[in-house]
Amino acid sequence: MSFKSAVITFPGSNCDRDALCYLQDLTKGVVYNIWHEEASLPQVDLVILPGGFSFGDYLRSGAMASKSKIINDVIKHANDDRYLLGICNGFQILTEIGLLEGALIQNKNLKFLGKNCFIKKKFKNNFNLSIKEDQVLQIPVAHNEGNFYCDNETLKSLKDNEQIAFEYCKGEFSNSEENINGSIEAIAGITNKKKNILGMMPHPERAYSDFHPSQDGKLIIESLIT
Amino acid sequence: MNEDLILQHGLTLDEFKIIKNYLNRDLTMEELGIFSAMWNEHCCYKTSKKWLKKLPTENEIVIQGPGENAGIIDIQDNDGIAFKIESHNHPSYIEPFNGSATGVGGILRDIFTMGARPIATLDSIRFGLIESEKTKYLLNGVVHGIGHYGNCIGIPNIGGECEFESTYGFNNLVNAMAVGQVQKDKIFYSKPKSIGGLIVYIGSKTGKDGIHGASMASDVFSEDDEDDKRPSVQVGDPFMEKLLMEGCLELMSLGLIESMQDMGAAGITSSSVEMASKGNVGVLINLDKVPLRQPLSAYEILLSESQERMLAVIDEKNNLKVKEILQKWQIDYEVIGEITNSKRVVFESNNKKVVDLPVDIIVDDAPEYDREFYMPRKRKGKDFDFSNIKLEDIINSLLSNLNYLDKSWVFNQYDSTVMGDTVKEPGQSSGIVKIHGTQKVIGATTDCNPLYIRINPYEGMKYTVAESYRNLIACNINPLAITNNLNFASPLDPNIMGELVLSIDGLKTAAEKFNTPIVSGNVSLYNQTNEIPIKPTPVIGMVGSNQDLKKINSNKFCNIGNKILILGKQLEKNLSPYLLQDQNLTSNINEYNDLEELDLDYEKKIADCVLKMSDLKYIMSCNDISRGGVFLSLLKMQYKDMGFKVNIPDPIDLFCEYSAGYVIEIRNEDLKNVSSFLSKNAVGYFEIGEIIKENIEINSKKFDYFDIINNYHNNFEKIIN
Repeated sequence: MSFKSAVITFPGSNCDRDALCYLQDLTKGVVYNIWHEEASLPQVDLVILPGGFSFGDYLRSGAMASKSKIINDVIKHANDDRYLLGICNGFQILTEIGLLEGALIQNKNLKFLGKNCFIKKKFKNNFNLSIKEDQVLQIPVAHNEGNFYCDNETLKSLKDNEQIAFEYCKGEFSNSEENINGSIEAIAGITNKKKNILGMMPHPERAYSDFHPSQDGKLIIESLIT
Repeated sequence: MNEDLILQHGLTLDEFKIIKNYLNRDLTMEELGIFSAMWNEHCCYKTSKKWLKKLPTENEIVIQGPGENAGIIDIQDNDGIAFKIESHNHPSYIEPFNGSATGVGGILRDIFTMGARPIATLDSIRFGLIESEKTKYLLNGVVHGIGHYGNCIGIPNIGGECEFESTYGFNNLVNAMAVGQVQKDKIFYSKPKSIGGLIVYIGSKTGKDGIHGASMASDVFSEDDEDDKRPSVQVGDPFMEKLLMEGCLELMSLGLIESMQDMGAAGITSSSVEMASKGNVGVLINLDKVPLRQPLSAYEILLSESQERMLAVIDEKNNLKVKEILQKWQIDYEVIGEITNSKRVVFESNNKKVVDLPVDIIVDDAPEYDREFYMPRKRKGKDFDFSNIKLEDIINSLLSNLNYLDKSWVFNQYDSTVMGDTVKEPGQSSGIVKIHGTQKVIGATTDCNPLYIRINPYEGMKYTVAESYRNLIACNINPLAITNNLNFASPLDPNIMGELVLSIDGLKTAAEKFNTPIVSGNVSLYNQTNEIPIKPTPVIGMVGSNQDLKKINSNKFCNIGNKILILGKQLEKNLSPYLLQDQNLTSNINEYNDLEELDLDYEKKIADCVLKMSDLKYIMSCNDISRGGVFLSLLKMQYKDMGFKVNIPDPIDLFCEYSAGYVIEIRNEDLKNVSSFLSKNAVGYFEIGEIIKENIEINSKKFDYFDIINNYHNNFEKIIN
């Protein structure tokens, strides 16, 4: 059976096309593009909340999008144990909805950060099955609020329940620091307890084509399909 | 009308007399405002027009030359590339964040107004010396503003330049360039098609921001002006622009629009006058219908430069459909007037005609000046004393000079990979993006050598164009066309006017030789504050293409053991202006030797060889040689654990500037083929050394590899903080 997926577009989303191409090229299945005002989602295996500046980041990044009409069905989709992936602004939206714990605050140097970063997997889940232990992935980040924060109790539970999917690390020959944005324990991506929802700041949809500097972003979709 | 009022509107009394004689009546305040906006330098090019006419603007690939919102070239199949550069200098000095942000917003609108989807931005920014706190404030604000706007709307920033020099201390420069992709059969122009078409207002509501922005941009500043002028700076909202862009592109793709014009400088005045003039028609607009953010007078509405607004002409039958689409994007939309056959621009407010002017007088009768200019004086030759200059000292001085260092602090604040088509990110010899869904790529670069142009405006401009050309060639990108941004001080000074005239002449000569016509551009004059004129800064934005992204050259070393070759002609020490300036051998502009004449035939011949050797896969990596010479070029090529060792009779030559200069990396086994290829083409080369692991060696002397690399990459951030 072919893999079906969907990408939600909010006003101000700017990685929706990138996510659509990423899914089309890697899943070879049907990919829907859903406008935020639609009331329902088609039955799909994976939904991506893409990056961008939904609603201009007004109020707080992701806050307005979390109240969009389509979100009810996104929550239903996740409650049915299907996959939900939030990338960058999508991760921020997931924390605003409350599907993921913690919050994304401004980067520690208070500046937007657009560069290649390096991550590796921390705990195993269905999104990172194809990634080896200690394998370093090179994937771009582009965010102003990517600094993952939560209280100690939440952090302990994230660890106890093995919800940390990715953490930032140092790349070979790179002279930049390990924890690029100041996240607690260098967290780059987390899942919910059931591990069918992943939020991550790096953009795997910008690292999969032959001409990209890295193709490591493929591994996430490959993990879900195989 | 009283004289003070006329002068405050930036018109001379002579100019006012022309208008009055033509109309044979007194002007309304609104009409005075219109002439103030339309007859200033920014809108009507009254000083530069005579000279700009000399530039080559056409060839077989030009679809649209200067005169529209952006120039467009043909890159085969059904693909066109729209691009333009524009300045936002004065606003960025008064309010760096909003000034630079709206500079990006404005240039993006110029691109999507033509039906093109923006696919890349670049910038060219110049500041005073970093020792000044003001410079730090401006640098932070400008970079933040450019990033904020481009990142939010989601267009990758793929390159640019950033220079620090004393004359920009009180007059920083911010030039933003945008590149867009359009289907050749779906280009939109500002010319309306039919009488009776509805004029519609699309986008943000109109507020007080930016009133008199265009005439401010044509003023000489004094330092204490800053606070007074602040209300003239526009405030940008990139979220609104993203909605506007998607909304307009959707309307255009459905063919619901006849023509479109961005409300940029001089807002609704300029956009409606230009529409009328292009179509040889008239416009009738009811200002009471304009969506407002706050109560405004007719005069204020006419001159507001509120951002994220468009004027379009539609057929009445499409009105409902247009409204529906724009509602989806939550964009304000209002029918405010119609196209008439009167050939007059008429604005009504409160059932009264507040403006009723023939289009002719505003556009065709706009003043054009033939200002006096001086030719530069002949330069006396001078020998500089290099005997006290040591190799270590030069290297250390480069590594503590912002102009040479890795500028990732700047471009890491920009999103350069959004849209997923970026092939080469900033910091390399040119930025490259793929045309979505094809194997074709577009390369783009921005450049200027103000010091060269001050020494010799004609030759200096040739060097500037050649440097852009080399930036593209080094990547195996075929250079196609140019956009330019002529930033100068006051043209009322005949010396400055001479620089303007001669550099345009240099641009013409080089562009003709390279077959790279000028398809769009912008002029920014009066860039001087407190009597300090900026160095002449005519910035070149050059665009090129390659049909196959697999053929693109790397600008970074590929393999240890590979040979390093130099192509081109080195300028002697005494003739390398940046070397002399940056090693403190002179600070007096009169002391420099004249520039060596740039041989454009030779430049082209070497470039053709580089392109051919790239296609033959002889070139493993390549970089052009510019300020900082071969040494800096090698440092830029350094990658992973690779370093280099070189041998050269006089090591100071490593820092000299070049014409047609390239560093190329080739495999040992290709050396013979490369050598015979070059000799067949009668091109000399110099085998200077090879790539080695974790070392930098010059004439067998070892340097601290990690120290140099780390300083090169990290010192920029240390120095500016």
